[in-house]
Amino acid sequence: LAKKNKENKMSNLVEEYFEAHSSSKVLTSDRTLQKLRKRRLDQQTLHDLLKKVPLAYAAEIKELNQQHESLFSKWMLQLHLGFNIVLYGLGSKRDLLEKFRTSVLQDSVHLVVNGYFPSITVRSVLSSITEEVLDHTGTFRSPLDQLEFIIKRFKEDSSLELYVLIHNLDSQMLRGERSQQILAQLCSLPSIYLIASIDHINAPLMWDQAKLSLYNWLWYETTTFSPYVEETSYENSLLVQQSGSLALSSITHVLRSLTLNARGIFRLLAQYQLENKDNPSYPGLSFQDFYQQCREAFLVNSDLTLRAQLTEFRDHKLIRTKRGADGVEYLLIPVDDSTLTDFLEKEDED
Amino acid sequence: QEVQEDLNKQLFDNLVNFLRRSHSEFQEKTTEWTCRMKSREIPTAALVLGVNVTDHDLTFRSLSEVLQNNVTPYIALLEAKECPGIKNLLQKLMGQLMNCYVDVDSLEDEDNVQVSQNRMRCSMTSLVSWYESVTKKTDSETPRKRRNSSSRPWQSPPVVVVFKDMESFTTKVLQDFIVISSQHIHELPLILIFGIATSPMIIHSLLPHSVSSLLCIELFQSLSSKEHLSTVIDKLLLTAQFPFKLGEKVLQVLINIFLYHDFSVQNFIKGFQLCIVEHFYSQPLSILCCKPVDAKKRVNSLSHNQCENVRRLPSFRRYVESQASEKQIALLTTDSYLKEIIQKLLEDLQVYHENYVSVLRCLHVFTSSLPKYPLGKQIRELHCACLEHQVWETEEYESSLQLARMLNKSDLVTMLQRCVEILLSSSGKEFDKTVEKLKEFLTQFQKLEAEACQEQDVSLSSQKELQKKTDLYHLQKTLLELKESRRSKKLTKFEMLRFEVVEYLDSLVRNYLVPADHKTLHEIVYFNTASVLREHLNAAPRIALHTALNNPYWYLKNQALKSDGGGISNKVPDICIVYKLHLECGRLINLVDWLEAFSTVVTAAEGPNTDSASSAQVDDVIHARFIRAVSELELLGFIKPSKQKTDHVARLTWGGC
Repeated sequence: LAKKNKENKMSNLVEEYFEAHSSSKVLTSDRTLQKLRKRRLDQQTLHDLLKKVPLAYAAEIKELNQQHESLFSKWMLQLHLGFNIVLYGLGSKRDLLEKFRTSVLQDSVHLVVNGYFPSITVRSVLSSITEEVLDHTGTFRSPLDQLEFIIKRFKEDSSLELYVLIHNLDSQMLRGERSQQILAQLCSLPSIYLIASIDHINAPLMWDQAKLSLYNWLWYETTTFSPYVEETSYENSLLVQQSGSLALSSITHVLRSLTLNARGIFRLLAQYQLENKDNPSYPGLSFQDFYQQCREAFLVNSDLTLRAQLTEFRDHKLIRTKRGADGVEYLLIPVDDSTLTDFLEKEDED
Repeated sequence: QEVQEDLNKQLFDNLVNFLRRSHSEFQEKTTEWTCRMKSREIPTAALVLGVNVTDHDLTFRSLSEVLQNNVTPYIALLEAKECPGIKNLLQKLMGQLMNCYVDVDSLEDEDNVQVSQNRMRCSMTSLVSWYESVTKKTDSETPRKRRNSSSRPWQSPPVVVVFKDMESFTTKVLQDFIVISSQHIHELPLILIFGIATSPMIIHSLLPHSVSSLLCIELFQSLSSKEHLSTVIDKLLLTAQFPFKLGEKVLQVLINIFLYHDFSVQNFIKGFQLCIVEHFYSQPLSILCCKPVDAKKRVNSLSHNQCENVRRLPSFRRYVESQASEKQIALLTTDSYLKEIIQKLLEDLQVYHENYVSVLRCLHVFTSSLPKYPLGKQIRELHCACLEHQVWETEEYESSLQLARMLNKSDLVTMLQRCVEILLSSSGKEFDKTVEKLKEFLTQFQKLEAEACQEQDVSLSSQKELQKKTDLYHLQKTLLELKESRRSKKLTKFEMLRFEVVEYLDSLVRNYLVPADHKTLHEIVYFNTASVLREHLNAAPRIALHTALNNPYWYLKNQALKSDGGGISNKVPDICIVYKLHLECGRLINLVDWLEAFSTVVTAAEGPNTDSASSAQVDDVIHARFIRAVSELELLGFIKPSKQKTDHVARLTWGGC
């Protein structure tokens, strides 16, 4: 009966999948964040704002954590018996691992790997082992060689012991097949003890049978409900202002410093682009047309001045040129339509 | 802990030994074959090993050991992950061969230096110059080997290259290697061994005809992992040797993981190990789980607290309740008396195990030959059934008895003989009587046989007599006799005897196969918390996340969080609100709408006590909380930013999870 139930559930799941992916048309409203008239928060203000919010259910969360902390001695025993431990569940497990480190591992050699850190690589992990733990100052040609060296050293010297704590083993940088392979081989050494945490729902997909047996995991559910402060600070969220793309403020800054005519030229281009925003195949404004229009609006008097002006825009990354299929140069402003609209409205106000 | 480590070691030794043994036959075949092969093509052995990749390591290790001991070859083991290119492959191969070479010959100074030098050069040369150096090296290597080997009884020992995981090698590398080595097959006698996890078809799909024609392939099949499992269970669980036992549920979980997930014996052993650790860690009385000799000492040294623990065991309580009242008082108050009783009970338990195993085997002999296997084909199924509840109460047992009553004689006799063998080999003392009884049965059967023969003789002779010309009176008499004998055959002695045997077997089962739960003090040796095992070995992170997000009350025991069902409560943590709102969406989610919905839910919570003046401030805070929750969902992998539409995110899960 249970099996049948399961099967039912299974087919439901499948149906739900196809239901979700059946129509290519997605029904959502067209509202955008710009229309909300709310300034985008940057990292700092976000942090400050969140500080003001008290953590909900602090007492219960603390109790949960205490439950998990009571497992520390068991973890140690199991680590020494050749198992590695992986923590899963909702909530940041950083503090828990830190606690484990400070309370149990204080006197032993240990290595902390912050997986959520966006520039971490397996190589840096291996290097920190060879340099800090093994006191070896040589370079290796490939991580595989390095790994071999480490394995050899650890096998020779049985007194060497190393605890490795990895926060977010499933992070962007470490989830690759090769890095997992190397880490798995490293952690299969009997004198290296690994505790790792995973958060992504599909994290177990990283491991095949061979890696699983190398890792020799013991799974522990440690749901903490604590916010992912450190982990998400690197995550480039949609709602946080991103430094990479052009923002409204920067456009206005640049344009303020230009001549009236130059501003007019940009405005013309922007208006043209907005008029065509509903046309998906709009390639941009061709240089010849643009020149014609600028001349009509008495903004430029020669081909050369317009080109000089466009070069200036291009240097500030205000426009982009693209060569079409017919070899003609097309001009585009690489900015969101909504930002552009805001910009035009602001110009009108001035 | 000590005990446990002892146990662990014991266990492992046993297992390794066993695995070796089980492979040895297969290995012998291979070695023999490697010795024999010496042809123009590259001789290749394809070992079909099955999908349990994790177990193969041991196989290969012992294989190389066996090969080495028979001093035929120099062996290099190659793994796919070490050889992304042909360069790495040859480098690895050279390194290993050289090492092998030094190991085996243990030659000093000169050779050693040369080896390391060679290795350095090999690793540093680029792809082009590498080829020359390798040819040079192989050239220089081969004569040395020849020279060396001339002092030995066999000429030119072959070099064996083992490809551990054929499937994961890139075809290019493999093909190149085969082509290159086929050119040198005259100078360097190579033998390749492929470890194949799927089916031998893979050779042909990996290698084109031009390459595979260079190989002379012979196929070898290894034992299936199921058979390994049954032997492991046989060795580990069905012996009285190990004091530690698995409960029914735990065993079921382990077998299920094996059969439905990975077919890996190694993982089964790992699970078993975890059981041991867990048992000795969590059960305070597990110190008594040891050899009977040690147990006596330990029982005597029990502290008062430990005695209290014993008294608290449910099975012990049952025992106490069944005793007389003054005895009860003694058991519950005086420690020394309790210790005596504990010793006795432990001995009982030991005896029970010894008897259990042999009777179980006997029963298995019977049930495994019945049609349709009502009680299971494998002994492990029978074992589970016996542990689960009283086996004689089940329908399956009933039907198998019925089937047993219809067995024919020759089967019955051979079965009885095997039972006798099993019982004789078992260490239990109580079986003398049983054996005697069974032997008696056997002799009766033999007698029956003899009688049948005689009868036949008689009938033959009577027929002969019939053929003799006698008088009518005699004829009548003999015919009557014949009739009589035939009628008596209808309700033969044999059938009666058969009934008797089955009855006796039934009684045996009832006496000895009582499930362990019914025994006093079974908690000491049986580990029965299957949930622990399931949690730690076969975890489901997604389900944990789902429950945490859907129903936070499960974890945070706050009355406010108790939800009444479908609605979105505003008291749950932010991320749960965001998650529930996101569940209602389709494939794409508009961030603005999401934010608005979120703020509606949240402000409903704060509604009464906010002033309109600070609403902008509150708005910002809500915005910030929303951002945090959304980026957490992104980290967890539920959503990802989408470029399809501005300010939208794509949902990565579907349906209600």
